[in-house]
Amino acid sequence: MGSRLRLVIISLIVVAAVGYLILTGVKQTGMQYMTVSELARLDRSPKSDGFRLDGTVAVGSVDYDQKAPRLRFYMTDGKEKIAIVYDGLKPDAFADGREVVVEGVYRHSDRALYASKLVTKCPSKYEAQGLGKDKS
Amino acid sequence: MSELGRLALFLSFCCSVFAVGSIAYGLRSGFAGPLRSGRRAVWVVCGLALLSVIILERALMAHDMTYRYVAEHTSLDLPPMYSFSSLWAGQEGSLLLWLLILSAYGAAFLFTYRKRLDPFYDAVAMVVAGVMVFFTSLLTFVSSPFRILATPPSDGAGLNPLLQNPGMMIHPPILYTGYVGFVIPFAFAVAVLILNRSGTRWIEEVRRWTLFCWGFLAFGILLGARWAYIELGWGGYWGWDPVENASLMPWLVGTAFLHSVMIEQRRGMLKTWNIALIVLTFELSIFGTFLTRSGVLTSVHSFAESDIGTWFLAFILLTGTITTALILYRKALLESENRMDAIISREGSFLFNNVLFVALCFATFLGTVFPVVSEAVTGTKISVSAPFFNRVNVPIALVLLLLTGMGPVLSWKRATTSVLKRNFILPTFAGVLAYLLSLPLGVRGLYSSVCVFGSAFVATTIVMEFARGVQARKDVDPASLPMAVLHLVQKNKRRYGGYIVHAGMVLLFVGVLGSSVFQKEAHAPLKNGESLSIGPYQVTLRGIAEHQKNNAMHTIATVGVSRGGKFLSLEHPTKAVYMKSQQPMTEVALRSTPMEDLYLILGGVNEDGTVSIQAYINPLVSLVWFGGVVMVLGTMISLADRMRIRREGRLGA
Repeated sequence: MGSRLRLVIISLIVVAAVGYLILTGVKQTGMQYMTVSELARLDRSPKSDGFRLDGTVAVGSVDYDQKAPRLRFYMTDGKEKIAIVYDGLKPDAFADGREVVVEGVYRHSDRALYASKLVTKCPSKYEAQGLGKDKS
Repeated sequence: MSELGRLALFLSFCCSVFAVGSIAYGLRSGFAGPLRSGRRAVWVVCGLALLSVIILERALMAHDMTYRYVAEHTSLDLPPMYSFSSLWAGQEGSLLLWLLILSAYGAAFLFTYRKRLDPFYDAVAMVVAGVMVFFTSLLTFVSSPFRILATPPSDGAGLNPLLQNPGMMIHPPILYTGYVGFVIPFAFAVAVLILNRSGTRWIEEVRRWTLFCWGFLAFGILLGARWAYIELGWGGYWGWDPVENASLMPWLVGTAFLHSVMIEQRRGMLKTWNIALIVLTFELSIFGTFLTRSGVLTSVHSFAESDIGTWFLAFILLTGTITTALILYRKALLESENRMDAIISREGSFLFNNVLFVALCFATFLGTVFPVVSEAVTGTKISVSAPFFNRVNVPIALVLLLLTGMGPVLSWKRATTSVLKRNFILPTFAGVLAYLLSLPLGVRGLYSSVCVFGSAFVATTIVMEFARGVQARKDVDPASLPMAVLHLVQKNKRRYGGYIVHAGMVLLFVGVLGSSVFQKEAHAPLKNGESLSIGPYQVTLRGIAEHQKNNAMHTIATVGVSRGGKFLSLEHPTKAVYMKSQQPMTEVALRSTPMEDLYLILGGVNEDGTVSIQAYINPLVSLVWFGGVVMVLGTMISLADRMRIRREGRLGA
């Protein structure tokens, strides 16, 4: 019976350790997931500065300095805009109007999000678009 | 032809339903006739699925734009190999491939056990047919690949350039072979519960099926990583993307099962746990398909969003509820025959291994769906990405690495202190030595140090196990050392195959450590003749050219790579712009050596005529691939073990 008890205790310790890792992990690396409008309408600095934003690349806003390389653009959800600064090569699928996800630090003073990660969704033009109706 | 395709799918749906009904009736009534017709229906589904795939492939290869699927995923200028692989580029075709592999597994299952008259195998076939009902109904009623356009376009939309890579030919089919295969272990588990069957014979059979698809899944994940490394051009191979996680999760739980199943075979323990692991592995593989197809989460893999996700979720809920109910109903069957004697024992370490693998899977799952969970719980959407997974999963994985060295050399039931001393002194010594040797190389920090120590520790225990085996057989087998090792592996493929998998895992850990901690990066705009230095390398621009190839315009930079003044090779980082979509596609130039990869990306030609080049040095990345190949090899050796199974089957029965 003694070893059974010990087994339970060890399992509990493992579960607690994993739980601790997850909790602190979320606290320290979690990013607020917001829409562009929600972030743009904040009137003061948010409590945490890690953010993740979904939206589209505002048409005509892309300013790419390939030599740096630094990519600046505005991200929009149709209502508001947020400036995004990303230090890195422009992803292949990146273009005006494309859906993108950015993660990074928001500086309220500049009203800009300094992205550490930029993911461009595969353009949906490779799926159904403008092909019309099925023949019934 | 499309009508024939639709008819084939509809008939395959009918046959699946018939197979379930007929076998269920046969099992209840005890008549052999319905069982036989049910089994035949599974074969028919396999034939019909193959016919549907052939019809769709014919249309894809012939660029028959009357098919919506063909118009959506191919174009006239698409090379034949990618037209062929467009079968799995979109949702409907992927589902069709699922069905084909699923029904092929069903047929392979029936073929393997064709001489067994036990109705147990019919019950397994019934569960497989039940899963077929789900996929055939999706293909028939929800997402048909044989939709025809009222006004066919003159040319199709083209295949996404990201998918125009040789990886596309093999990665998805192999990954699917792994994913889908978990249906067989699942069917075994459900059949055991339905028929209230005890005994250990089925558990050995399940182990072999699981090992088979587990190996394929590992290989598929690895190919995906390799594809991402070559194609996505960010210098890495694993980004904790939701879809990557989706393929990793069933693999993790499958790994846990492959270990704990040994405890059940040996000691008749953990029966409920094992069944739960099998079911979970299957549900996770369905969940993986759901994640890729539902658009709930954003990922580089997000294909067009569709409402098909709901169907998958419903299927997961349904099968999950049924199996949970069955497990509770058959509690008596799953009673443990033995108790754990001591923690420091083979069982103890395996149990610990299981808890950690499931924890790893849980953390991965939680991180993947965190935005959804946090919104439901706190109202705010919180998202986590790579830093979270590295923080949580790396320590768990390192403990698992240490266990890899300890588990196999601990004895069953209870390990004595003298055994511990004998088995652990040398590996510990080797681990400490490796750690000390790694210090001048710049290894710092707790995790890196543990990884170095653990890798040397495990490698030593594996070598010791082989040495001990050869030593023990010295009198019967006085061959030369390599031959003696070969004979040893042949004699007990399952055990030594397992050690080889472990050795591959160690290589993988070292590769991951090297490439994640010691990666170097440099970038610069270069004029002709100018160089960029990174680590010991000099990268010099020699020229830039444009030319058209197939369906894309290629901009190709020529750079000379030298090391310490000595010229090594010319490399060609390239950017291709696809005519159809005007989308650029980066093609990385890779100079691979066993010690490190030089990874070169062409940023593009700048306005002032300079050429932007980005370079990475990824140390030891080759060990990731090599370790993966060793793992797959070890899995194959383990699978080849036939003799032993018969022997053990007799013992267990």
